[in-house]
Amino acid sequence: MTLYLGVALVTAAVVLFILQPVVKGVHASLEREDDELTETEARKRVALLALRDVEYDFLAGKLDEDDYRSLKSELTAEALAALEADDQARVGAFTTADDDLEGEIAVIRQGLQDGYVCPSCSFSNEDGSRFCSACGHALADAVAS
Amino acid sequence: MKKNGRFMVGLVGMATVVTYLIWTGVSETMVYYLTPVELIERVETDPSFHEIGVKVGAMVIPGSYSRVEGELLHVFTVRDLVDETVTFTVEFRDALPDTFTDDVEVVLEGRLRPDGVFEATTLLTKCGSRYEAAPEDLAGNPG
Amino acid sequence: MTLLGEFALWISLPVALWGMVMGYAGGRTLRGDLVLSAERSIYAVFGLHILASAGVMAAFLGNRYEYWYVASYSNASLEVFYKVTGLWAGQRGSLLFWALLLGFFSTICVFTNRDKNREFMPYVAGVLQTILAFFIIVLLFADVNPFERLDFMPADGQGLNPQLQNYWMTIHPPTLYLGFTAFTIPFAFAVASLLNGRLDARWIQLTRRWILTSWLFLSVGIVFGMRWAYEELGWGGYWFWDPVENASLLPWLTATAFLHSIQIQENRGMLKVWNMSLVLMTFILTIFATFLTRSGLIESVHSFAQELKIAFIFLTFMGAVVAACVVLIIYRLPQLRSENQIESFFSRESAFLFNNLMLLGAAFAVLWGTLFPLISEGVTGQQISVGPPFFQRVNFPIGLVLLALVGIGPVIAWRRATRRNLQKNFTIPVVVGLVTGAALWISGARHELALVTWSLCAFVLMIIATEFWKGTRARARIEGEGYALAFFHLISRNRRRWGGYIVHVGFVMICLAFAGSAYNTDARFNVQPGDVVEAVSPFGHTYTLTYEGLSVALGRGERNLLWQAIATVSVAQDGVPKGVLTTEKRQYNQRDSQPMTEVGVRSILREDLYLILSALNDQTGAVNAESGSQGIDLQVLIKPLISWIWLGTLMLVLGSVIALWPNVDRRRSEDTLPMEPESEPATAGAAD
Repeated sequence: MTLYLGVALVTAAVVLFILQPVVKGVHASLEREDDELTETEARKRVALLALRDVEYDFLAGKLDEDDYRSLKSELTAEALAALEADDQARVGAFTTADDDLEGEIAVIRQGLQDGYVCPSCSFSNEDGSRFCSACGHALADAVAS
Repeated sequence: MKKNGRFMVGLVGMATVVTYLIWTGVSETMVYYLTPVELIERVETDPSFHEIGVKVGAMVIPGSYSRVEGELLHVFTVRDLVDETVTFTVEFRDALPDTFTDDVEVVLEGRLRPDGVFEATTLLTKCGSRYEAAPEDLAGNPG
Repeated sequence: MTLLGEFALWISLPVALWGMVMGYAGGRTLRGDLVLSAERSIYAVFGLHILASAGVMAAFLGNRYEYWYVASYSNASLEVFYKVTGLWAGQRGSLLFWALLLGFFSTICVFTNRDKNREFMPYVAGVLQTILAFFIIVLLFADVNPFERLDFMPADGQGLNPQLQNYWMTIHPPTLYLGFTAFTIPFAFAVASLLNGRLDARWIQLTRRWILTSWLFLSVGIVFGMRWAYEELGWGGYWFWDPVENASLLPWLTATAFLHSIQIQENRGMLKVWNMSLVLMTFILTIFATFLTRSGLIESVHSFAQELKIAFIFLTFMGAVVAACVVLIIYRLPQLRSENQIESFFSRESAFLFNNLMLLGAAFAVLWGTLFPLISEGVTGQQISVGPPFFQRVNFPIGLVLLALVGIGPVIAWRRATRRNLQKNFTIPVVVGLVTGAALWISGARHELALVTWSLCAFVLMIIATEFWKGTRARARIEGEGYALAFFHLISRNRRRWGGYIVHVGFVMICLAFAGSAYNTDARFNVQPGDVVEAVSPFGHTYTLTYEGLSVALGRGERNLLWQAIATVSVAQDGVPKGVLTTEKRQYNQRDSQPMTEVGVRSILREDLYLILSALNDQTGAVNAESGSQGIDLQVLIKPLISWIWLGTLMLVLGSVIALWPNVDRRRSEDTLPMEPESEPATAGAAD
């Protein structure tokens, strides 16, 4: 008797649980979240990551200066293209909520376009550089500010 | 494009090496898995089979086991799983697995010497009941 | 309780099928109510399988021998602990256990994604329910129902095989299954992304943790199995190249390849089709491994019974999954094109690619060797098998190349490495490797392969150490931190990269130990009480072993023990007493009539001294305590460096846990934008 009761209870509970959304029209969201990366953003991210990697490798002494410069100028061009593409895609779209990031990207873009002038030797570096490519002076603080 | 070409050559080269390794590995380490009946037929038609290592699945004949003291040499007789008249003697110079008894199915690896004695280098016991009893056992063994 | 469990298992089938249909339908029609129903059905299936598993456990604990499964794996005197773990002791229970674990992971997956990644979830739920439904069908219709009843009631069960009454054996299968089942989640996301057309690296980012978790469980599960074999099987080996072991190695190899290749996709937008194929391959191999373990397709010490029905169902399912995935990939091929090309043979991308190629080559070789008896029988009618020599021959060179790549990968530049880059980074490590090799040669090591392996180990360790050192130094300079703090921050700011390096250190330690097996020694003696024998270690010292005698005890009903014969051997190393080792034969009064061996092991960092009581000179005499029948065959093995396998595994776990550790501050994690001044690059390392 208890067995049948248990069976009936389990069955009823399961059926109610899984049919309720369909019967009552309870909907699960199928929207993409607002803060998720778009495709152009993702590409931009990859380009910037590559730049950061080169920077790190140079910093850790794994790349020598010539390699560093040639790779970096190439990657900078790619990153700029990706940033432009992302800008294009964004025109007319809603602005993302994360203003901090937007600000950061603006700084980066500005730096990439203008180059960054080393306070020590006046060499024009790509932004994001932590050390001046010419004299090795640390730039990290200047970028962060 | 030149660099890509070189890259492809590298890839193909590596793939070739792996394939070669597998190929030679198989041809140099493969072992025929025979029944005693097949083995005896083979050595009759092709005496070179006395030299080739083979794997044989056979049944140990109860009571045939003996041990040469001091030499770590185990001697026993096995028969074919189906044809009980086909038998040969086995010599094995290694520690026997725990699962060995003189009434068990074994898989021997080694060669059949021209004198008709099988010189086994490895011995595995083969028992379906090792990790699970068959239901028939349960029925016949209700205690 | 047990009947309710059986009922729960039956009812879970329609629920899973319903969820499967709702998932796919919801994904196509974008109807949220159908999707919610599909997701709820996953919770429901998991709940029902908890009931079913509880039912099996209740049957074990209640000694319900009318159930075939209980009668085969338990008896009245079995310890309660082993009755509980009886759920996965045999084929039938472990298939249910598989479904339970899959339900568990599916539930976690659906629950954690209830508010995010919604566009994937309909198909994810559909795929998960498809696989769950498959396992339920196997359980119910392939003659492996754990609730099957006998038509009579045995007075007692068969009991659990004593060799399985070992703690390693109780955690080894569940750990492996955790790895197998966790991999289903990345697979489901991959298929979902093929179905909904969202083909960027999103599915990889979403499932990265799942992949690493699954890989970790697989690795640990495999090592648990090795440990069990080493301790319990009593011949000093830990790996047989047994089909079942191979089957668990296969998905590990492809999962390792996958862990590496996804980094190329994330960093360079390449290898999309390749990654899809790898995830599919790994999933299929986990199913294949489950199938091999749980059917008697290939003769193996683990394989249970010859069951054709289950083989048919499994093969059909695997074939259908492969076909469906191949069709999907071909359908999406235009969108899976690479964004970039490999620029140079000497680049990190190509190091990753070679790593993948090697791992896949090893997987292919292992698969080929495992299936060779079947293939040869199918083609020539003659069963031909390849044994351990084949696997060693093929995998040794592949392993060496992989080991070298572990060193090369992290420091070679992305895109293209110049000669200067190579010189700068490899000169010192190469010298260190060569010096190590030379030093070992001078100190008397002559085994070529072992020398090569150890030199490579030194090379890799040097590279990893340099990485840590350079990273710490750079950080200490920039942030003005002390070295200890800089080191700590270095790791915590980019756990994925540095955790990966730590895993690599573990891998190197394991390779070190594998090479040590070239110096295994093996001596056999027939000894009488008082006899003294010697064994010389490859490290130069001598063990003096005195056989003190045999003590035979009749069992007192504990674990069905009939009798046990304990040989006592006192050990001295270069004349210094190092205590006593015992090795024994045990006879259980159940099922198998032959005695089992318990080995005596003395383990130090350098080597294990491993004593085996191979045989009693006169078993009957010994048991009846006749004087003069105390002679034994004693096998003395020395296994250099074997402890490093277990230590390396600990290292591997540590590294994986570091890489998996959740990011508390998401703004600093690698998931947010790069270029934050204080976070290290996320991507350069390998997360093997």
